[in-house]
Amino acid sequence: MTFVGLANFVELLKDPDFWNSVKNNILVVLASVFGQVPIALLIAILLNRKLKGSRLFRTIGFLPVVLSTVVISITWNLVYNSKYGLINEFLRSIGLDFLTQNWLGDPDLALYSVLVVIVWQFVGLYLIIFLAALQNIPNEVLESAKIDGASEWVTTWKITIPMIWDTILVAIVLCISGSLKTFDLIYVMTNGGPAHSTEVMAIYMFNETFKNFNYGYGSAVSVFIFLFSLVLIVIVRKLFKLKGI
Amino acid sequence: MRIRNTKLTITTPIIYVILTIYAIVNVYPIIWMAINSFKSEQEFAVNQFGIPKKFVLENFMNAWEIANFGVLFKNSIFVSLAATFFTVLIGALASYFLARFEFKFSNVVYGFFAFGLLIPIHSTLVPIFILMKNLDLLNKPYTLLFPYIAFHLPITIFVLTSFMKAFPKSIEESAVIDGAGLFRRFWSIVLPMSRPALATVIILNFIYNWNEFAFALVLINDQNLQTLPLGLANFAGQFTTNYGAQMAGLTMSIIPIIVFYLLFEKNIVKGMTAGAVKE
Repeated sequence: MTFVGLANFVELLKDPDFWNSVKNNILVVLASVFGQVPIALLIAILLNRKLKGSRLFRTIGFLPVVLSTVVISITWNLVYNSKYGLINEFLRSIGLDFLTQNWLGDPDLALYSVLVVIVWQFVGLYLIIFLAALQNIPNEVLESAKIDGASEWVTTWKITIPMIWDTILVAIVLCISGSLKTFDLIYVMTNGGPAHSTEVMAIYMFNETFKNFNYGYGSAVSVFIFLFSLVLIVIVRKLFKLKGI
Repeated sequence: MRIRNTKLTITTPIIYVILTIYAIVNVYPIIWMAINSFKSEQEFAVNQFGIPKKFVLENFMNAWEIANFGVLFKNSIFVSLAATFFTVLIGALASYFLARFEFKFSNVVYGFFAFGLLIPIHSTLVPIFILMKNLDLLNKPYTLLFPYIAFHLPITIFVLTSFMKAFPKSIEESAVIDGAGLFRRFWSIVLPMSRPALATVIILNFIYNWNEFAFALVLINDQNLQTLPLGLANFAGQFTTNYGAQMAGLTMSIIPIIVFYLLFEKNIVKGMTAGAVKE
């Protein structure tokens, strides 16, 4: 082993495949923040009332979170399967054959198909976080709003959401740090393919290290991922003025 | 901005419709997979959405034999239980000291563990692989214990420390007066009192270890040492068109975790959201 100084980093910054993986990773972050958080918030607000079966909905909502990512990936591969998959089969059965796609095989489509699964997997986590926060809002506040004649719509926008705003910010931070960790799901579903279209930083790192046996280069990517995640999270926390680490 | 006091009120039926759609999207892929694992290949091709006309166990037998499920189960159970045991033991000891004693740098030590919650774990895959390779620790029955224990200590300590900090000091003080030593206080007072938090971290660790994939992928090559997620991924990668056996394998592997979830839902949910809600 020889000391190469910053050669690995220079090479890394010059590699278009690497920048492609950074771009995809950022898309994963955006999809998580703008997919998981709003859906979870909507469902949480709807569930936060006296409703028959609300416990059942919670249990179902959280279920994907406890399953292994490998199980989820293989299941969704079957769901997306172009020949026998649930989605195409469903589209065919209602006569919408022309909408059937090669969901994971088409480079223009594969990333979006994967993003759907990423959002799907973790909505439940944020649902439960929001529900816990919603249940902490004192009842008097909501009741007095009702007495003052505020509609449910106004109460939600002007009272409920502002009161759990801190939790929403924390959820966004969690969402960002969680989606920077994306590896298992994409590794099992597409391993970055077809044609690098779903490659994120961790997949790029894995393939460079263990397929090309380039340990030094792989370590450089690891350092980059580490710093990238840290800097992004620190910036977001500063922006949101969150205390603590 | 003023929001108009619209008369649009959301009625209960609409709420149920939205929630039901959400619930179906959430679980139907799993249910679809589990039901179809009981169908023969021919039936799967023509009848995907119905209940199997004839329940076939052939897929399960295939999966069990080809993917070596017995071995996978055994390995997963061993690794998950052993890693959970050590993580919780070490974590409880560390938490007790962090929660109860002020020593030089105690905040630094706690900060060190809390930092572990932030690290993107996969950025450590390559360094840990190289480290363990040089130490000749790859492909051993205990290989996975090292990263599993190390990376799950932060959340374990986080949950336990905040729980133990809430104990009144007076109980321990009276134990000191009665002559109980440090470890006696830990074993006989603090640990039993922490039972609810211990239950949470035990269950949490077990699920994390049971589901973990990335380290198993990097550190284990030996067929006989693979855990369930690794074995499943390899199996699906190899027998890409044997859908029936894939689905049967998936179904078998999620049954324990779903039973576990339904039994301990409260603890699991509390543990998995602990990092967020506590802040």
